[in-house]
Amino acid sequence: MITEKALIALCAALAIGLTALATAWAQSKIGAAGAGSLAEKPELTATIVILVAIPETMVILGFVIAAMILFGGK
Amino acid sequence: MIVRMSKVEIAGPKQLLQDVLALVRSLDLFQIEPSTVGFIEKGQEEDLRSYSLDEKTLFERLFLEDLRDKIQKLFSYLPCLPVRMSYLDPQPIIGTIAYTLEKHIASCRELSEQKQNYERELSELKRYSGFLDTLESLFRDSGTEPNLDVIGLTIKDLSSVEQVRTLLSRLTGGKFKLFTVPAGDGTLGGLITVEKTISEKVSRALSSEHIPEMSLPESFDLLSLPGKIEYLEKRTAEIIDGIGGIDQNIERTCKRWKPIYISVLAWIEERLSLLTASVSAFQTKMCFFINGWMPTSDIERLKDHLNASYPHQVVVEEKEMHEEDLERVPVMLKNPPYFRPFELFTRVLRLPTYTSLDPTPFIGIFFPVFFGMILGDAGYGIILLILSIILKKQFSKKAMIRDASQILFISSIYSILFGTLYGEFFGDLPHRFFRIEPICVERRTAVIPMLYFTLTVGVVHILLGLVLGVITAVKKKTKKEAFYKVISILIIACLITVLATFFDIFPEIVARPVILAILFLMPFLLFTGGLLAPLELLKSIGNIISYVRIMAIGLTSVLLAFMANNIAGLMGNVVIGIVIAVMLHLLNIVLGVFSPTIHSLRLHYVEFFSKFYEQGGRQFDPLRKGDAGKPY
Repeated sequence: MITEKALIALCAALAIGLTALATAWAQSKIGAAGAGSLAEKPELTATIVILVAIPETMVILGFVIAAMILFGGK
Repeated sequence: MIVRMSKVEIAGPKQLLQDVLALVRSLDLFQIEPSTVGFIEKGQEEDLRSYSLDEKTLFERLFLEDLRDKIQKLFSYLPCLPVRMSYLDPQPIIGTIAYTLEKHIASCRELSEQKQNYERELSELKRYSGFLDTLESLFRDSGTEPNLDVIGLTIKDLSSVEQVRTLLSRLTGGKFKLFTVPAGDGTLGGLITVEKTISEKVSRALSSEHIPEMSLPESFDLLSLPGKIEYLEKRTAEIIDGIGGIDQNIERTCKRWKPIYISVLAWIEERLSLLTASVSAFQTKMCFFINGWMPTSDIERLKDHLNASYPHQVVVEEKEMHEEDLERVPVMLKNPPYFRPFELFTRVLRLPTYTSLDPTPFIGIFFPVFFGMILGDAGYGIILLILSIILKKQFSKKAMIRDASQILFISSIYSILFGTLYGEFFGDLPHRFFRIEPICVERRTAVIPMLYFTLTVGVVHILLGLVLGVITAVKKKTKKEAFYKVISILIIACLITVLATFFDIFPEIVARPVILAILFLMPFLLFTGGLLAPLELLKSIGNIISYVRIMAIGLTSVLLAFMANNIAGLMGNVVIGIVIAVMLHLLNIVLGVFSPTIHSLRLHYVEFFSKFYEQGGRQFDPLRKGDAGKPY
């Protein structure tokens, strides 16, 4: 029973942890490129904010899966 | 909302052009279109030509441009002081002004050069002063050392001092003293005392290292050391007095004449803007034509004004708007006072096209709701409410901060509302102290119900976006796109129904016909949206799931508040506990302003707007007072 709970917790942690890492990696790349673009074209601020925010969907999906694993979707 | 615009042509006798333009400008409702495309019909182009200024007007324009440049040059010499307002009418005195302006520029230039010379000399004297003060104290202290020689030098910065010290150590074997005095210009004045026998060697070494020795002006040669110091002090006082005199002189000129020149400059700019705008008009042998755009609702007002001023002489004609004109129609946003501050968020992106929709009212409705749902704490909401009121009062004249504080004000009200529903007041304090249960749901524990709730919000928001997309497509008269959006709405609704049957919200028997409906709709989706349509559909599903962030970010906020209260409770001391709790709650409030704002905006910009918003509109820029230098 304890092993089962531990496995569930591990799966939930992996679901959110891996997606968080993926989001962080993507945002680091976009953020660095965006900062470079902003130095030359400050009028692109809105576009860059949107681009940086796009990969967040990954961690949100991970969070949904983790919540489903922990609390039971059905 | 986007104001309905009309394509308008104003025509009248050529000699009235300047007067008509002045009248149109005073009404602030007409944007001149310098291009003939869409305004002048084929075949008529040869009869019309661009309006060209006559010789007299051209001379006037050159004269005014020259005068404007000269006034701006004079202003560069004058200080920025608050000055009175001039009520003189500039037009009759323009000739006199041109004459006095020359005199004022010459005198101000001379005074300015004199001041620069004084300042340069003062800076030099400061350097010598530091040098001589150190020299005096040195001779006072070492009066019994007749074998010492003194070398003065200029050191470029602090980091070079060590370099000089090392050099001297090497040359003198450590038998030296180095004093440094900061000079006014960022450099350092240095004073070296060494034995007379090696002073020449040191001088040569300094020279080879490009460290310049400091030499006093020739006028100092005949003076003794105390005489030199006294002379320096006297000259410094004279220069300071001189600078003060110049400043007073310039200030006097500024206070007396700047108001007049300001009003003349404003008049010149108004006049020049009129002359520049007239170049965008067209003419035949007898008549002028001005083409442009204006709000449809203002056409009657323009006609009334022109009729009153030039009865039966000037004609305003609303021209038929063709489909190809839609891309060039300028965009003007006009929203009710409640929604107007939210234009701040719309203007972050490029303006919507004329055929698209103004998203401001939708941001005005949904942004505060999302903000409230994420923050969801009545205590935090009250603090932000007070903060927004203070900001609004403090910065009532700064439009951007005023709008931002109005948005914060509305959002904080929603935070209080959702905080009451969630039973949160600085975290779980109501439950902790008074055992008050939440009215609606406890976010900290009800993860799955909140997840479903936010997904439902996402479904509503995305479907609304798609409906707006259908309206935009209909306005653009692109039927295929409208059908594609309708089919997308239907398929998303069917998919949600199927999902609902999995979670026992609908009976399982519903699933099969709905799946069949999806299969039936798929070919139409591919036909109207192309091969990438299913991918777009998946993107919409992803967009809906993205709304879970409302719950996720809210959960982190409530957990941080809960932990702040827990940590404060564990302190064992009431005062320390309160301090810790206040600090952690403050941190949470700061995060609670930024995080919900960024995520609510993202949900709008990325998820919602992608369904209907078309950027690239041209800002409506009517001819108005103060348009000098505007390129036509």
